[in-house]
Amino acid sequence: MDFETLVETTRLLIEEWAERIETLPPRRLDVYMRRGQDLVPAVAGLRVKRLGYLAGITGLDPGVESPDLEVLYHFCPGGAAILNLRIPVPKREPSLPSLSTIIPSAEPFERELSEMFGITMLGLRNPDHLYLPEEWDTSIFPLRKNIDPQSLAQRVAEGQRVAEGQRVAEGRRVAQGVKDEGA
Amino acid sequence: MIEERKRERFTVPIGPQHPALKEPGHFQFTVEGEIVTEASVRLGYAHRGIEKAAEGRNWVQNLYLVERICGICSHIHATAFSLGVEQLAGVEAPPRAQAIRTLVAELERIHSHLLWLGVAAHEAGFDTLFMYSWRDRETVMDLLEELTGNRVNYSANLLGGVKFDISQAQMEAILQGLDFLETRTYHYLEVVNSDTLFLQRTRGVGVMTRSQAELLGAVGPTARASGVVRDVRVEAPYAGYIDFPVHPVVEKAGDLEARFVVRMKELLESYFLIRGILAHLPEGEINARLPRRIKPGEAIVRVEAPRGELLYFIKSNGSDTPERVKVRTPTICNMTSVIKLAVGHQLADIPMILAGIDPCFSCNDRSVLIRRSDSEQHWDWETLRQYGNRFYHANAK
Repeated sequence: MDFETLVETTRLLIEEWAERIETLPPRRLDVYMRRGQDLVPAVAGLRVKRLGYLAGITGLDPGVESPDLEVLYHFCPGGAAILNLRIPVPKREPSLPSLSTIIPSAEPFERELSEMFGITMLGLRNPDHLYLPEEWDTSIFPLRKNIDPQSLAQRVAEGQRVAEGQRVAEGRRVAQGVKDEGA
Repeated sequence: MIEERKRERFTVPIGPQHPALKEPGHFQFTVEGEIVTEASVRLGYAHRGIEKAAEGRNWVQNLYLVERICGICSHIHATAFSLGVEQLAGVEAPPRAQAIRTLVAELERIHSHLLWLGVAAHEAGFDTLFMYSWRDRETVMDLLEELTGNRVNYSANLLGGVKFDISQAQMEAILQGLDFLETRTYHYLEVVNSDTLFLQRTRGVGVMTRSQAELLGAVGPTARASGVVRDVRVEAPYAGYIDFPVHPVVEKAGDLEARFVVRMKELLESYFLIRGILAHLPEGEINARLPRRIKPGEAIVRVEAPRGELLYFIKSNGSDTPERVKVRTPTICNMTSVIKLAVGHQLADIPMILAGIDPCFSCNDRSVLIRRSDSEQHWDWETLRQYGNRFYHANAK
């Protein structure tokens, strides 16, 4: 599909949900969506028209003072063209509908987005952590700008020390039990 | 009776130290008898926080950082990052630099595919093939070392070009190495196509149809083995692939055997490409100057890593550090396909199916936080740097 047809088809499909549509060189089409709720119908339309596969999802935190996060869905419709759906997600109660029912490969991308930026993916079958440890503090979303790597490193080190202490105490208790039994 | 069968379900946890590769990943397979009925994955055991770390380093430091995302396909990460930064700065690397980048990328593909052939053969219990392919892989490792000074993190890229030029002697060494590897590759192609015992493990195993591959978003050789023509080098040529076009290698069967054949044929394609580059290497400069601060903007770069499409999203805010670097590696796309494919297979086939996509866990596990060797001894960057200096001072020749 040539780029002009892609732009035209996308415009027809998504215009009613989009705030604006921009084309950028070399062959990039950015669709600024108004809200996350419209994501599923918009993407279903893209699927029906075979406008490419989902190549990835990028989360962006524009800054500590910004009230919104931004999420980009990158679609590759073939050739060098890239179609980006850009969606603002409010930092207060951030959530997005999951695409995993229409695009199964979206699941790992969504799990990553969810744990790194604290966005709840509505309808995701397996919302477990993909990369972060099970015992990760669920109030910390590492790729947000208010998280400073230094303080994060300190917290983790602190957590490890506590865990190590617990393991040592547990070991002593077991050893004591064995000794008592022996006696 | 049905109730009884239900109770026979059993969950087999595999990993983090798992049977297929020497890398960590945790899988849970629910089985009924020998047949897998459900599968899930948990990654992150090699997670180093690189995406966050990139936000605190300048553009040049980041080039070194992204090269260390993966120990096998290090060059392609640095190439993708360089192309993105050059795109943002509005600077283009000279044609000779682009050709050298492509040359190193193809040498890297050769080493990666041969490494995979060994690993996959080992999973099938065919250790002779493993030993031979890794022996032959040394040829390309030596060439890379001769060319760049390193066996693994070649560090060939600079923002705006490459670090080194190629001498006549090096060209001859590469051509000689390729001749040897070509005869070996034809031999391996015959082995994977004809060895009866090996075919029992590969033919008709782990079949992914074309529509499944498209739906599950498979990339790279995994997708091409299922008949999906998805190769960034062909679709959206970058760097030297504009002047030196690639013919995509596609197979239709979609089973493990096809994944072997695709990779072996891609080796032959790489040899052809490298010979072409060496014969028509453009003359001229090997790097262009880049400003320290990069203009604000966003760049999306797609390149073809040995395992498939690698995507970089880079955002600059006009300073000397990036605002955001997002890396989407090929393994995460192919991992979805493995998890879905596993259902309905014998548990015994799982290591081969897993190895079939050539998974790379370090590539996957990037983004967050800093890993420590132990909680008592913390080394920061400065301590490490001082240690390095002391080490080389003490061991100076």
